Amino acid sequence: MSSSPLFKRIWKHKIFYLFMLPGIIWFLIFSYVPLYGVQVAFRDFNFSGGFTGSPWAGFKYFNQFFDYYQSADIIRNTIVISLMKLLIGFPMPILLAILLNEVRVIKFKKVVQTLSYLPYFVSWIVVVTLMQRLLTPYGGPVNDLLGLFGMEPIQFLNNTSWFYQIILGSDIWKNIGWNSIIYMAAVAGIDQQLYEAAKMDGAGRFRQIWHITLPGIRNIAVILFILSVGSLMSAGYEQLLLLNGPATAGIGSVLDVHVITSGISQGRLSYAAAVGLFQSLIALILIVTVNRIARKVSDVSLF
Amino acid sequence: MGKKGFRFASIMLAAVLMSGSLYGCSTSNSGQGSSSEGQDGEVVTLKVLHNWNGSSGADTDMTPITRLIEEKTGVRVEWEYTKGSEAEKVNQIFTTQDLPDIYTGPAWGGELDSIIKAAKEDQLVDLSDKLDKYPNLANLIAQENVPPALYEKAIDAYGGKKYLLFQNQPATDKDGIDWLYGFYVRKDLAEEVGVDPQSVKTKDDLYQLMKRIKDANLKAAGLPVIPFGGFHNGWAVGIGNNMFYPTEYLDSGNGELKYVFMDNAYDNYVLYYRKLISEGLLDPEAFTQTDPIAQEKIKQGRVAILAAHYPAILDASKDYVKANPGSDYVPVGPLERAGAEPDRPADLRIQGNNVTVIPKKSKNVEAALRLLDFLASDEGFLLTRYGIEGTHWEMKDGKPVAKQEFFDKFTEDATGKARKNEGIGIGFESISGQDRLNSLGSGDIWADQDRNAAMDFARQILRPNGTKIITAFSPGDVITKSPQWENLKPSMDKVGDAWKEAVYAKSDEAALKIINDLRGQLNKTGLPEAMQFVNEQLKGKEVVKFGMTN
Repeated sequence: MSSSPLFKRIWKHKIFYLFMLPGIIWFLIFSYVPLYGVQVAFRDFNFSGGFTGSPWAGFKYFNQFFDYYQSADIIRNTIVISLMKLLIGFPMPILLAILLNEVRVIKFKKVVQTLSYLPYFVSWIVVVTLMQRLLTPYGGPVNDLLGLFGMEPIQFLNNTSWFYQIILGSDIWKNIGWNSIIYMAAVAGIDQQLYEAAKMDGAGRFRQIWHITLPGIRNIAVILFILSVGSLMSAGYEQLLLLNGPATAGIGSVLDVHVITSGISQGRLSYAAAVGLFQSLIALILIVTVNRIARKVSDVSLF
Repeated sequence: MGKKGFRFASIMLAAVLMSGSLYGCSTSNSGQGSSSEGQDGEVVTLKVLHNWNGSSGADTDMTPITRLIEEKTGVRVEWEYTKGSEAEKVNQIFTTQDLPDIYTGPAWGGELDSIIKAAKEDQLVDLSDKLDKYPNLANLIAQENVPPALYEKAIDAYGGKKYLLFQNQPATDKDGIDWLYGFYVRKDLAEEVGVDPQSVKTKDDLYQLMKRIKDANLKAAGLPVIPFGGFHNGWAVGIGNNMFYPTEYLDSGNGELKYVFMDNAYDNYVLYYRKLISEGLLDPEAFTQTDPIAQEKIKQGRVAILAAHYPAILDASKDYVKANPGSDYVPVGPLERAGAEPDRPADLRIQGNNVTVIPKKSKNVEAALRLLDFLASDEGFLLTRYGIEGTHWEMKDGKPVAKQEFFDKFTEDATGKARKNEGIGIGFESISGQDRLNSLGSGDIWADQDRNAAMDFARQILRPNGTKIITAFSPGDVITKSPQWENLKPSMDKVGDAWKEAVYAKSDEAALKIINDLRGQLNKTGLPEAMQFVNEQLKGKEVVKFGMTN
């Protein structure tokens, strides 16, 4: 046997595999090759030894993290913020995709679609600067508007009472359009005859959504949900670094920012690598668990 | 045909995507090729990292002064200025080994710790056997020219080897720069609320002044006037600490030193600032705002009291004062100093000094030393501060005097670019040896008279007893040599953050809980043992007892 059926199949569909190649190379270079650096979590990193030559330190840095007086708070904050993003933020793109699918005026639909994508391409630093300008109690348009209704100015940013709303709202606003693309594609793939048949059976718009659209995108939603659960230990580095301040540190300090500040600002690379590895391990456990549950409950799974 | 087109398009698309992915792996400095010949007669190009956040250079690498330095030393300098955290930058260069030929940066904090770590880990050039050829450099790290604790911690700490050069330390008492840190109030607003700024002496007086300003409901640019504000990320609103404790390590009376964070004085300091925030006296955005936003508030006349050094306040308020005469910021106080006798001179730490090192990967160590030695000479010093003699300045009665043409040119240019484009006020200043601006030169010959007058006026008010440069041992330097330091440092690094978090707390109890939680962590990670080490090390030595921000 000169070559296995797998390679024959790959050769037959080589053009499609060629499309995959950049993605595979990207993952190899940026996700798999750097894995050798994980060993730093178990070493006392120094400049001369580098990643591979520094002395072994065992679980010293993992212990340091769990001995750190705020580690429980940081883990809790990360999970709370991620859970909120998952439970409230996850359904939003589905909702947008379904709503856009119901719009019959094509031009309007395209405009809304394009506008909803745009924030995704704006960096967090710009978004946060915009928010600072819009929400400041010193002449910000939002507070000016509230003032017209006789309300007192509100300190939206750097305020624990508004922190979760701001984090969640800005995250949804920034990502909803982009995340809805895949659902739009899934909705577009649903056989139109199903809608026509449903119409003939007297189903209204809501019935059609409930019985055709939602089941039609169920599989893709489950897959994306499993992947999202993997980021439960990652609440969003840039957003939290910029929006969290001293006033909200009690509920806004998260693992991602802790890793960056201890690693880059304080130069504790081994410690940061240990915390990052812990974060990734939990994420892996979560993905495997949710994948199993999904497979049992809905027959849809990643692997 | 269609199939062929599809195939071609597919291949092109894949190729474009692949090249896009691989682009990220390409080296980012491929276009920065610098010559490294270094042979006799050839110009050597050296990359110098000026690790001071926000510093900047000329619009072009080649200024008249740079050209003259190149002629004198055979070294052409390519500057890299840091934009962002200095500590992050220094960690980044050593971790990635993307090193400059010469590094210069702050002589304190995490930046200095990382440089010392690099020295201990054999990353830097040992200068001990080279300094005899470079007398100007040897002078910089002579024991008598470096504060004692710093000398032990950073200069003479490697078994006889020498890695760090210590720059910009005042050569004489006359050369120490007093930045006049303090609280400053807008003269017109103080008059409007009927308070004489010089009658404000105590922390309660200061609180009452802020309260009066708030209660007066003053407006500027259609917005409420903020009673008390600062610059970016809270700089330097916290300098009221001197009203609560004299310095960071307190003499507990029995000769033992105590870290002030563990003392009740620190609680009072936290609660005072918490009161300012909770009553709307201190700008709630003070700790999170960027510099442009802070500057905008000042330029619109919306901040009544500022805490910072005076030059920054003068610069930020210049335009507003020009448009609204009488709205200058004037000093408040002098305010009380915890534990200090009324006639005590202002105890100043002299900053502005920095460390310079040559990484082992430097492409030409001899050229780097030649450049540094020339810049540290009297000729080099005057060149970096005043420019070229005969062109930018001239000697009159034995003292350098600015040429009128350049004085006018620089005064007119509010951006400071005109001066930098001549090569004055750029990175060379940081590597020009000891600060001899007054003893060798004649002060800041480029400062305009109004500014000099304002500084003199503030000095008269804030320094009625003169100043005293701190030369005693600083426990803060000694503690970093304790065996517990590696474990303790992450907790010590949290102190500033904990203070900020506490001042925003919803109640006094919540504020103190934040402080007490960190105290617990400090104890757990070895503070008592580290303090015991400090006390043993400093037994019989003169220790810093008072210190003011400078």
